[in-house]
Amino acid sequence: MLWILFYSFGYKPDLYHSIATDRLSLGQYKLAASNTFFQTFMGTLRISLTGTALCFLIGFPFAYWLSVRVPPSRRPIFLALILIPFWTNFLVRTIGWRILLAPSGIFAGVLHFLGLHSTALEVLDTRGAVQLGVVYNYLPLMILPLYVALDRLDPGLREASKDLGAGRVRTLFKVTIPLVSPGIIAGLLLVFIPLSGDFITATVLGGAKGNMAGRMIYDQFLIAQNWALGSAMAVVLILLIAAVVLFFGSIAIIGRHIIRYRRRVELAIAL
Amino acid sequence: MKEAPKITRILASEEFTHRFSRRTILLGSAVGVISGGLLLAGCSTSKSPKAGELSSAAPKPSPIESKLNMYNWAQYDDPNLVTAFTSAFGPAVQIDVYSSNEEMIAKLSAAKGTSGYDLVIPSGTYIPQMIKNGLLEKFDKTQLPNLAKVELALLGRSWDPTNDYSICKDWGTTGYMYDTKVIKRPMLTWQDFIDAAQHEASGKVSVLDSPPEVAAIYFWAKGFYWATEVQAELDAAEKFLVNDFASHIKAFDSYPGIKLAQGGYALSELWNGDARQGLLASKNPERYKWVLPTPRTELWMDNWAIAAGAKNPVAAHAWINFILDPVNAFTDMQYTGYNTGSMGNEEKAKTAKLEYLDLIFFTPAQIATMDTGEINSAQSRLVEMYSKTKAKAG
Repeated sequence: MLWILFYSFGYKPDLYHSIATDRLSLGQYKLAASNTFFQTFMGTLRISLTGTALCFLIGFPFAYWLSVRVPPSRRPIFLALILIPFWTNFLVRTIGWRILLAPSGIFAGVLHFLGLHSTALEVLDTRGAVQLGVVYNYLPLMILPLYVALDRLDPGLREASKDLGAGRVRTLFKVTIPLVSPGIIAGLLLVFIPLSGDFITATVLGGAKGNMAGRMIYDQFLIAQNWALGSAMAVVLILLIAAVVLFFGSIAIIGRHIIRYRRRVELAIAL
Repeated sequence: MKEAPKITRILASEEFTHRFSRRTILLGSAVGVISGGLLLAGCSTSKSPKAGELSSAAPKPSPIESKLNMYNWAQYDDPNLVTAFTSAFGPAVQIDVYSSNEEMIAKLSAAKGTSGYDLVIPSGTYIPQMIKNGLLEKFDKTQLPNLAKVELALLGRSWDPTNDYSICKDWGTTGYMYDTKVIKRPMLTWQDFIDAAQHEASGKVSVLDSPPEVAAIYFWAKGFYWATEVQAELDAAEKFLVNDFASHIKAFDSYPGIKLAQGGYALSELWNGDARQGLLASKNPERYKWVLPTPRTELWMDNWAIAAGAKNPVAAHAWINFILDPVNAFTDMQYTGYNTGSMGNEEKAKTAKLEYLDLIFFTPAQIATMDTGEINSAQSRLVEMYSKTKAKAG
């Protein structure tokens, strides 16, 4: 980490050396934050925020269903169905989507058969393909902590809530979600942080249109061999991720305080 | 003998097997090995060499080491040749792959002679500086009698006039291929490439994933020298690529041939061998057209060289001599689709009725339009504009 920080102030002396630090400057940051590259950082955040949100919207109902509705004896089967693809090599899993999404691939065939889409499928090498890829790749990281949290939740609490007159929705928002919030936070962080730095999905599915910051950093280190610029980009990415986490973290904390404060007021009035 | 390649076709779709070859980005290793035999399946006349067929002109140097470590572009030599070499001479061959000259050079210069690699395959333009930086070992030419079998025109190139450090592995050029259903106008020049990319083929264009060759599209179209160091020309290229060209690019792809021939792109900048593979794999090849664009284009040459501090120099020499043997050179040419530059390749290819010979062999008039370029002060600028173009395209 410290090396990356140190290198980011260096420069690339010539083709045969990847880094020199005898002269330190902020020049690489200026370049990394310039309009052209910043556009990619913003695109990355858009993909990772949307991806995290989609993972949550798919992962939460699934984890809830798995831990509440599915009888315990059958749960291992569903967990295995999630985990086994997850054990497969990341790259191979992602390449699999290229085959599925190919212009004349399986999806194109199904859509054509259903009469939904008649021309060649043009999903590959777009932002959409990357979005789909990251949701698929990171979904297990969302489901597992949510499942663990929901599984440990005493079903009696939901029943008590029901007995006390709360409807399903109210039970969900007032009882279940607050109690599993550590699992939710873990899931969101586990998905958002690695997803923001992902470069494989963007490389395999994104073409030129679905570029992500991780890919850009990879290029600087391994193709351009410009470690200084790559390091500066990595630091910018870390700062952006930290900023997003802090932003949503503080919203959550402030939100919780407001809710508590209002509850206290309600209680005081009721008393 | 033909069974293995057929099996590999089932294991990996053709599009993928080719994404992991020369100069590809990702770790070609596992997938690369699986897809190894693909080209063999494509060439009906290909034949795996047997040890007994090896030229008797190659004296067996001794004592030969038991290992040979090659640092090579992925899928760049026929695996059957590697097996034949081991059974004839003994050394077990270990191949690691790199995806760019820069990557290979960085590894060699960081290791300072202790990289553990015996053989590397740098592109010609990188060789002078590699020699200057002490990254390469001098050949012992007495161990390389087959140097005499290489076409004279390929010897003594500017980067190594006496071939003391390097010898041609194969060479090729850069052009483009397009889908005639999308682009109906006649296409001849690099300016045509740019016009079509900005109009009817917009959003369906791929360019090579290589900094100099992205900028070169502009330089070639304008008739500038593609290794120019003139500041104004570099500025103009950056302005053009970032502002007027990036948004039309669908992918930076060094192996677009097969994908193009399956409808994935309408217009692709590519190397001749890749174009040929695309046409060979296509169901209706007449729909796609290869262009060797005017006014100027590239001539690249990859070269066998021995890494400084090589631990198995005898085995390294034995391999180079083995692969320069005309029979083996011809086999390797069929595998990669690039001319290995062995005397008699063209006649043999005609006799063997290989397809698309115009994509392997070029006329003297065509060769006269090709420049090898050079590595100079503009290199880092080219990389920077490539990175910007990539960011802008996304």
